[in-house]
Amino acid sequence: MEEAIIADQLTFAYDQLTAVDHVDFKVKEGEILSFLGPNGAGKTTTVKMLTGQLRPKEGKAVLLGMDVVQETERVQAQIGVCFEDPNLYEQMSAEENLNLFAKLFGVKDFDAAALLVRVGLDGRGKDRVETYSKGLKQRLMVARSLVNRPRILFLDEPTEGLDPVSSETIRNVILEERERGATVFLTTHDMVEADKLSDRVAFIDHGEIVALDTPHNLKQLYGKRAIKAEVARADGRLEIKEIILDNPETAEAIQELFTQEQVVTIHSEEATLEDIFIRITGRGLAG
Amino acid sequence: MSWQTIRALVAKDLTLFFRNRFFAFITVAALLAYIVIYFLMPDNVDETLRIGFYVNELPPAITDLLAGEGLEVYYADSEQDLKDAVLNAEVTAGYAFPDKFMESLVNEENPVIEVYFPADLPQEAKDIYILLLKELSFTMVGQPLNIEFSEEIIGVDLVGQQIPLRDRMLPMIAVFILMIETMGLASLLSSEIEARTLQALLITPLTVRSLFIGKGITGVGMAFVQALILVAITGGLNNQPVIVLIALLFGAMLATGIGFLLASAGRDLMGILAWGVLAILVLSLPAFGIIFPGTISNWVRAVPSYYLVDTINRALNYGISNSLAFYNLAILLVIDVIILWLGVVALRRKMA
Repeated sequence: MEEAIIADQLTFAYDQLTAVDHVDFKVKEGEILSFLGPNGAGKTTTVKMLTGQLRPKEGKAVLLGMDVVQETERVQAQIGVCFEDPNLYEQMSAEENLNLFAKLFGVKDFDAAALLVRVGLDGRGKDRVETYSKGLKQRLMVARSLVNRPRILFLDEPTEGLDPVSSETIRNVILEERERGATVFLTTHDMVEADKLSDRVAFIDHGEIVALDTPHNLKQLYGKRAIKAEVARADGRLEIKEIILDNPETAEAIQELFTQEQVVTIHSEEATLEDIFIRITGRGLAG
Repeated sequence: MSWQTIRALVAKDLTLFFRNRFFAFITVAALLAYIVIYFLMPDNVDETLRIGFYVNELPPAITDLLAGEGLEVYYADSEQDLKDAVLNAEVTAGYAFPDKFMESLVNEENPVIEVYFPADLPQEAKDIYILLLKELSFTMVGQPLNIEFSEEIIGVDLVGQQIPLRDRMLPMIAVFILMIETMGLASLLSSEIEARTLQALLITPLTVRSLFIGKGITGVGMAFVQALILVAITGGLNNQPVIVLIALLFGAMLATGIGFLLASAGRDLMGILAWGVLAILVLSLPAFGIIFPGTISNWVRAVPSYYLVDTINRALNYGISNSLAFYNLAILLVIDVIILWLGVVALRRKMA
């Protein structure tokens, strides 16, 4: 597969503050890459440089073989961007919003109604956006980013603060787009979502990528595997015991657990992406 | 640059403009109000001097003089009757002659003539009435001053065809209409920046240049069409229509440039209204000079709207020479280009 996105030493600074610091990564066509990091880590600035909204101070971004700075218009014709906060024309209907962007992209025979069905907005196409809830607006934002059938889809916190139904709808659309062959660049600080959707995840902190791999490999590399058991004590109360796997003493400890304790429940434990992020950066994703 | 995308942008802007109830209402209401005001105002200038006399006997020479065109004479029955006529604005000056006026003149005494004016009569008008009285006195005593008067009219001789106030107001109304559209455009732009919808537009193949062309077409188009409706309905296209149309088009471009500047200066509707009112005040100054001649000095030529107002005023009311029209419009076009450029630069800084 070809590289859909190449970030080569991408750097951007707001005055004295370096927001993105010599970031390097590649995303293959048809891949979903999640950018995980706390607020202010540099996720949105990276998206802005990749989509031609910001000019890098150093380095370059290449999308589908085109330099983003040199060929901004050609790049933007091939991408779809869903912003973090809804920026729709509220006094226009959903269909009018989509039709406007279809014209700007020069899409012929555009079917707004069909796209609205995909994001679960069927029957609401004629309503003005100002009457929509936050979840419905976000679904429309996703629909707008799909108007030109983009080869690369940038989604900036697409499910932030949404109800479960809206979040699930958007996740399904992301997976459908991957099936279609689109590359998806997803920024989020929802590690569960990233774990579910992503082929690979990148951890970004203070403008630098501190880890980049598949969720499975990251867990293998940085997570601790363990089993947790609830055992009944002599006084009838429950006690939780944790046995770390991969230690030389693991087998003996497990044998001891079952021979000397009254085991009530037992579960295997796997590190979450947030655990790994904290372990690598020393701080959580929420911050 | 694709005309299809620009057309889509213009259509979107017009949709948003007319869905903004406030600006849609103000646009239509203002246009209607200006047209109604124009037609409610008198379409002629009353040049008649209304004067009152309380006098026992007038020599036939005076009577003949007072019967001339442009004078309406009221003969009061008493001095009090004359005062009441002045007070009730039936006459603008009242002359009360003493009972033995002619006899006093014959006896070479100095008769005193009382002159009554309403309180709000300007001093210049009072001087005219006094002058008229002296003229009458000379006629009465049969000793006209040995002076000959020679009159020369500079410019268009408007005796008998004074420009009605409503036609002198028309350039100012046109400026108001253009500026109201300016605020509408500025509000539209400012709300797009605040709502970050411009960010969404610019992530498509739409270029910044196309964006500004689209906004410019919307602004110029809306301002021009409304000013055109006003001028067409009020008969403003009867004289030198090509010059009037070009002036309005350049005026709409000026309004659009100012709209860009207002959008970059104001963060919200209130900010734009505040800056917009200031702009209207400044841009209206040249028009005030037309309504109240002699009240504004030459510095008013530094106000960008001067060349718009002067061209429209002359074309509509007096007839403007082609050379002066060309001179005015060329300066206006240069001002348009500078203000549009400044507006685009300011807006781009705000969008960054």
